[in-house]
Amino acid sequence: MLLQINFKSGKPVYLQVVDQVKAAAAAGGLQAGEPLPSIRPLAEELRLNRNTVAKAYTELESQGIIETIPGKGCFLKPNQSPLRKEVRRKLLIEEIDQAVVKAHHLQVPAGEFLELVRERLEVMDEKRRASERNSGQTGALPFRSTTDRH
Amino acid sequence: MNTDMNQLETAIEINGLTYAYGRAEAVHEFNLTVPAGRCYGLFGRNGAGKTTAMKCLLNLLRPCGGTVRVLGLDPAKAEVEVKRRLAYVPDAVAFYPWMTVRETLDYLASFRAHWNREIERDLAGRFRLDAGQPTGALSKGQRTQVALIAAICPEPELLLLDEPTSGLDPIVRREFIETVIGAYQEGDPGKRTILVSTHLIAEFEGLIDEFTLMDRGRNVLTLGADQARERYQKIRARFPQAAPAVEFKEAMDVRRNGRELELIANGGGAGILEQLRGLGPESLTSEALTLEEVFVATLK
Repeated sequence: MLLQINFKSGKPVYLQVVDQVKAAAAAGGLQAGEPLPSIRPLAEELRLNRNTVAKAYTELESQGIIETIPGKGCFLKPNQSPLRKEVRRKLLIEEIDQAVVKAHHLQVPAGEFLELVRERLEVMDEKRRASERNSGQTGALPFRSTTDRH
Repeated sequence: MNTDMNQLETAIEINGLTYAYGRAEAVHEFNLTVPAGRCYGLFGRNGAGKTTAMKCLLNLLRPCGGTVRVLGLDPAKAEVEVKRRLAYVPDAVAFYPWMTVRETLDYLASFRAHWNREIERDLAGRFRLDAGQPTGALSKGQRTQVALIAAICPEPELLLLDEPTSGLDPIVRREFIETVIGAYQEGDPGKRTILVSTHLIAEFEGLIDEFTLMDRGRNVLTLGADQARERYQKIRARFPQAAPAVEFKEAMDVRRNGRELELIANGGGAGILEQLRGLGPESLTSEALTLEEVFVATLK
């Protein structure tokens, strides 16, 4: 999981971190029980305000995506679907609505949009399968540092 | 003197500050509020009055008008207390050239009640500084690194950085910013305040959470960084024929080139997009302005 901040996206920076961690978790770039980088090295690497990264981690924790184990760091939670089905659907609908609005702005027609969604689902699926095949090799993550420096 | 040190909410409060060098007014009725714990950017062109305002915070200059409070104190009346709790890195760093790096740090530490030796060792190693070298033989980048070590080791509540990275090479700049994030901010998370004045905005983009744009001594714009990137948009549209000669009331700036239009929106982005869509464009895109682009669009 390598994060990349895009200041031109118009999305709050801490939310970009939140969404990219979630995306990595969904695509297998980050697996259950795997550690996230500590706040300090991640903030330094992305040259982001430490408080921004801390805010993102707090948000991820309150959404039940990650957990902090004192003295050890932050980890992706093993089974992270603590939300009831309708809540999950509601959260997803908000995201879909945004994508629909964006598609409208970019003048992508409905058919093409649906095709794109199908394509992305397949790409994510493929990524997840690939990372599951490689999941025996731990420690191969491209983090610059995963040592806990709290 | 420990009054409200724990509940302090405002690190810097400037109200109606005016300063003139002789008859030339450098700062005019300038206001600035920096909440504690924030990393605050003071942006402006050369000669906008940033350094003058900072020098008033340090009591290096006496305001001609207005009030200045640093950590709740008047720097003219409580100069020692204020200087004890902050550190300052100026643009041009000067040391006694015959002192070595080691002697310079010891000399600067002697003025401080607290000095974190561990951080000093850490940073000197990171910057690969030779302790035995006289500071007169250091490069500009290395002198700035020594100044940064001297600013961070006392672990002050407030760090004032005045154009700290101008004239430095890109590697030194990156290390400078990483150090501010790592060695300084990590020490007392959420409580340490940074005020950085710069016109090299792009490098500090990720660090800044709120900023003030200063021009000709005045406060032109104060905004949160995320808010600014949400509010200011660059919208591009391309049409099948020549771009329609329509007026866009909500746009700050419009550029036309044949079939293409580029508009800068300040808040009214949705309305402009709606208007453009009605004109049947071939393509329509929008992106946020970076803080540097907000700076340029505002001061142009």
